[in-house]
Amino acid sequence: MKTLFRPAPLALTIAAAMSAGCANTATSDSATSQPATKASVVEHYANLAHAGYEDALITAKALDKATDQLIANPTEANLQAAKEAWLAARVPYQQTEVFRFGNAIVDDWEGQLNAWPLDEGLIDYVQADDYQYELGNAGATANIIANNSVNVGGETLDVTNLTPELLANLNEVGGSEANVATGYHAIEFLLWGQDLNGFEQGNGERPVTDYAKGTGCTNGNCERRAEYLDAVTDLLVSDLEWMANQWAANGSENYRSQLLSANADEGVQKMLFGMGSLSLGELAGERMKVALEANSYEDEHDCFSDNTHNSHYYNAQGIQNVYTGSYRRVDGSLVSGPSLSDLVSQSNPKLDARLNSQLDASMEALSVMKAKAEASQSPMPFDMMIAPGNAKGASIVNGAIMALVEQTGSIEQAARQLGLEALSLDDAGHTF
Amino acid sequence: MKRLALTLLLASSLTAVPLMAADDKNASDPTAVYRTQWHKDILAGYQSLATQSQALETQAQTYCQSPSSEELEQTKRLWLDAFLAWQQVRFIDFGPVEENNRAWQFQFWPDPKNLVARKASYLLKNEAPITPEKIAQSGVAVQGFPMVEYLLYDQTFNSSENALPAGRSCELLAAVTRHIARNGETLATDWKGFQGNYLGSEQYTDTTIRAAMAGLEILEERRLATPMGLRGNGKRSVYSADAWRSGASLIAADASVQGLKKHFMPAFSKLLNDREQTDLAKRIEQQFEEVLANFPELDRPMAPLLSDDNAFKPLQSLYIDLTQLTALVNDRAAVELEVVRGFNSSDGD
Repeated sequence: MKTLFRPAPLALTIAAAMSAGCANTATSDSATSQPATKASVVEHYANLAHAGYEDALITAKALDKATDQLIANPTEANLQAAKEAWLAARVPYQQTEVFRFGNAIVDDWEGQLNAWPLDEGLIDYVQADDYQYELGNAGATANIIANNSVNVGGETLDVTNLTPELLANLNEVGGSEANVATGYHAIEFLLWGQDLNGFEQGNGERPVTDYAKGTGCTNGNCERRAEYLDAVTDLLVSDLEWMANQWAANGSENYRSQLLSANADEGVQKMLFGMGSLSLGELAGERMKVALEANSYEDEHDCFSDNTHNSHYYNAQGIQNVYTGSYRRVDGSLVSGPSLSDLVSQSNPKLDARLNSQLDASMEALSVMKAKAEASQSPMPFDMMIAPGNAKGASIVNGAIMALVEQTGSIEQAARQLGLEALSLDDAGHTF
Repeated sequence: MKRLALTLLLASSLTAVPLMAADDKNASDPTAVYRTQWHKDILAGYQSLATQSQALETQAQTYCQSPSSEELEQTKRLWLDAFLAWQQVRFIDFGPVEENNRAWQFQFWPDPKNLVARKASYLLKNEAPITPEKIAQSGVAVQGFPMVEYLLYDQTFNSSENALPAGRSCELLAAVTRHIARNGETLATDWKGFQGNYLGSEQYTDTTIRAAMAGLEILEERRLATPMGLRGNGKRSVYSADAWRSGASLIAADASVQGLKKHFMPAFSKLLNDREQTDLAKRIEQQFEEVLANFPELDRPMAPLLSDDNAFKPLQSLYIDLTQLTALVNDRAAVELEVVRGFNSSDGD
């Protein structure tokens, strides 16, 4: 399978090499080497999703452990370890976002985990003169951590006990989508704090003493802040557990069994729809073009940690995973099997080759973004790339946008090639 | 599901690539006649936008040279005229308007995080002169109608020391209206220059129809259903409508429907009739009239209609009429004409 020869990102290559000695077997359900069928491709898609959510769960558990450690013992080193665990947890999760579009079960669920942008003043203290919240959001400055009860749009809520359930119910409180009380970005804010640097170098600078016990506590309410962090990381773990189960092969009543018992055309359509939607509307559009054209760091995806480049990079990786049917797990093992690429190449090898090279080109463009953001010499994170008048930054972002736009054209063609034109017409505006 | 306009812009830039040009050697192009008409009708719309934008620029200068409440009112009137001229041609999401994100330059929307206010305060605080270059570099939230609307209408801004006709605010007003006027002029010129391309390429027939479909969908979903609280979390909020500062959300919707009627429907009716869809053509024409019959009664600010269930009723009627129109064009006609929507016509965040 040609996809195996594609250079893996350096870090992953190392991980793979290191784990190779540990009797590490690649999961492969194409061992029988039967030609791929729509049914086998959809089944393998479910395997990819399961592996992805399982990895997201594994890394979320590590994050939960690291934050527990931070809470128990708030030192610089423990804060740093928690941040690193958060960054590691984003790697598999961002690759699962491609499953979101087309699979309503994921889309309905994901807001609790990954909603953005958020009005962080709902959660904790913010510096008011550099905080622009969503217009009309009555909860934007509620500050749950500082209060035992908050009033949002005339409704008084008791928030004394910061349990995972309470926080989950606070999402979109007062009817505003920007009221995000849970998920990766809430945790990110609790670890990094507000990024007050605008277009300049630097991310959030929350002091570890925000979690200090007793008199060393900065910015008040350290105990409640710790309770909040504890609850919100617990919730992340249980949410991911639930989703991983939905895709598990042994569950008879789960989403996987529904998907596999439906017409395989529907599954293939979901796959292509997910790829195209993430590629074009969400990643190229919402997450890059809006931010760039409006020079808006408010539209930066991982704004507290300045990890936006990785969010984008692993989103695009997820798209490629679905097409090539392969996924490099966090333990370095490779999941591979019947793919859309196999299906398309059966009837149109030229289109398959083009789409594969376009997916590569997108990864390359995003690698440039990642490399520039992480450079040891004068790094340029995403929020600097989108600054007014930064021509170099704009050209990096535009390069990625254009590559994603091009691949989406071929994804549409692949849908036609696989006979899904009629489906997309009938369903316009509905299941899509 | 925030910025549908964007997804569609991107999507149509895709469809402009000849993806399905399998038989484009075909010398006879049966749809050229409709594109000839569309080109002419859309040009008229763009020319009107250019003229109105020019008038706005001139008036902004007049006002800032000798400020008075009369001149301010006149500036507001001309802002609205130019903004409505834009609403009429806003559905066109392909061709020259795609270059340099001109559509966003005219109107960056939605703007839930109030970027326009943030950008204005940044520019006004800054010492550097507000030059055309500065505006050109400042991003789409600065460059269009919403920024001018902010300067003319925003309540917080107008009770601040920066309120018009303060010197620097006047500079910004002049520079932004100038930017809009230049864009209006260039767009009309470029559309003329685009004629050969447009007439010579059959795929633009579908592209034009898709643009109208998307325009209707955005109007129904984003510009009405969302502020009316019919989508998502069910909260009514005028801030998700466009032009809420000036109370022009609904008159803008009126203008967009009129724009489709004037600049899209003539050729489209002809096309449907030629395909022996005379009944459908007639129903669509009638439905346009049904929608427009809600106006000018509804040419008023949306906020009071959202806060009172009785006042909300006429808004609901408009919405229902519009969904029927959208269904006729986007479902019925699109199926009859086999116009296929691309990715992201209705997905998103």
